[in-house]
Amino acid sequence: MEYSEDHIALAAEYAIGTLDADERAQVETMMSVDSEFTAIVRAWEYRLGVLNQMVGSIEPSSEVWERIKTAVGWTGQPREPLVMPEPPPIPPATQISEAVASLESSMSAPPPIAPEEMEALVREHPVPPPIDVAESDMLVRMPPRAEITDSDNVVALTRRTRSYRNIAVAMTAIAAALLALIGMQVMSPQLVPGLGGKPRTQVVEVRPTPSPTPLAPSLVPSAQYVALLQGSAGGPAFILTVDTATRNFTVRKLGAPPIDASRNYELWLISDKLQNRPRSLGVIGASEFTSRALLAGYDADVINTATYAVTVEQSGGSPDGAPHSQPVFVGRLIETVPATPAPAPTRTR
Amino acid sequence: MLTPAELVWLIAAVAKGDEAAFERLYAATRSKLYGVVLRILRRQDLAEEVVQDTYVKIWNSAGQFNPGVASPITWMASIARNRAIDLVRKRSELSIEEEPAAMEVAADSPDPLARREMTEELKRLLECVGRLDPDRQKLILLAYYNGWSREQLAAKFAAPVNTVKTWLRRSMLDIRECLGL
Repeated sequence: MEYSEDHIALAAEYAIGTLDADERAQVETMMSVDSEFTAIVRAWEYRLGVLNQMVGSIEPSSEVWERIKTAVGWTGQPREPLVMPEPPPIPPATQISEAVASLESSMSAPPPIAPEEMEALVREHPVPPPIDVAESDMLVRMPPRAEITDSDNVVALTRRTRSYRNIAVAMTAIAAALLALIGMQVMSPQLVPGLGGKPRTQVVEVRPTPSPTPLAPSLVPSAQYVALLQGSAGGPAFILTVDTATRNFTVRKLGAPPIDASRNYELWLISDKLQNRPRSLGVIGASEFTSRALLAGYDADVINTATYAVTVEQSGGSPDGAPHSQPVFVGRLIETVPATPAPAPTRTR
Repeated sequence: MLTPAELVWLIAAVAKGDEAAFERLYAATRSKLYGVVLRILRRQDLAEEVVQDTYVKIWNSAGQFNPGVASPITWMASIARNRAIDLVRKRSELSIEEEPAAMEVAADSPDPLARREMTEELKRLLECVGRLDPDRQKLILLAYYNGWSREQLAAKFAAPVNTVKTWLRRSMLDIRECLGL
């Protein structure tokens, strides 16, 4: 259905907020009977919604949460703390050298978890339903994560769709809009990029790569997969993100309890295409993010269908490439951002 | 700050009635939403009421969230903004600015947004806004961030209300053309 410029402008004014109460009611009525018109309104709201990125965060009082819980009829049972299983005891030094000696002769190291046991434990963790993602006109994009990869083999996903002249024009236009914001004291100057303010500290385990030109950030045309790794008590301990183009993965600590310095969490990939033998993806570091390129050696369909598990191992990880504890957190990958086609070049005026 | 993918996950879990995910979602997003509506309402009690209503609505409608058309925080902030503006427009006979409890709104934990942290969408939108006349830029941004009515904007720019309406519509259509919509 063709909508007049009036209709489109009405939808735009609704989204920006300038309609009076009667006009708002009129638009809401139109939306309730015309789903296409609703889509136009929502499109305006979501296009303008990025402006909220600039608004400063302010803490509401803690009573708000209490009232929300009451309003949704929540019993508010506290989450059970994650109960860590007993990891295998670390043998004292003399026993280690004896063990090494006996390993060489009879391979009597503690047996790795059998594939069937892994599979059984994995079955206890149901896979969340896939999210239905519309395939057309993806507005959702992952923010650029170029700064947390550590592999020299990462292909820079920069895409230069503009000439330098257009970049200069665009940067001037953004600067003009930002100055307008300061002029109106909508934001304190600290909120404006490049004018100083509190530096944000983010603990990142890996060396940052230099970011590409300011207006050509790494677009992410490849698909992004996410797995929530959680234990039996519920609540995600880690989030695993896999970029299928670079085969990089990132593990982010969410709710995993800290473990003492003599042990490490270790991440494993388990696939029936690899006879269910767990493959180590390395130790998960103590900082919030751990990023590696270790999936490069695996086929895409192995990566996509595998189960990922975290175990507790001795410091430095399992010595023999096999897990020595039960998996404490498990998850599988779900695609959240399907691969997008190349965006259309923007029109210049 | 959780990534969009993590928030999408939490909303999907909330849709299944996962209370722990809802609490996690609230913890990650409440300050942003409160900041957005406080700037519009200028009163903590009203802003808290709107935040409360917003999360109840999120709890009830999480299953309708489509990550293909909006990012999670944008979806949530739209719900919050609509409630806030509904409230402000209904109270229009009382000028919010003159209420004794109205306050200067300042973020006490500003989140400096470096250019490289801006999403591509935000950069494109600011670029298009930046091509408008400076007065039109202020008009659009005051309307959006502060939730001002046409009457308040008319007073600010010393113009008739109908002129402000024309300016708003023209500017929005210019932005739309610039975005290539």
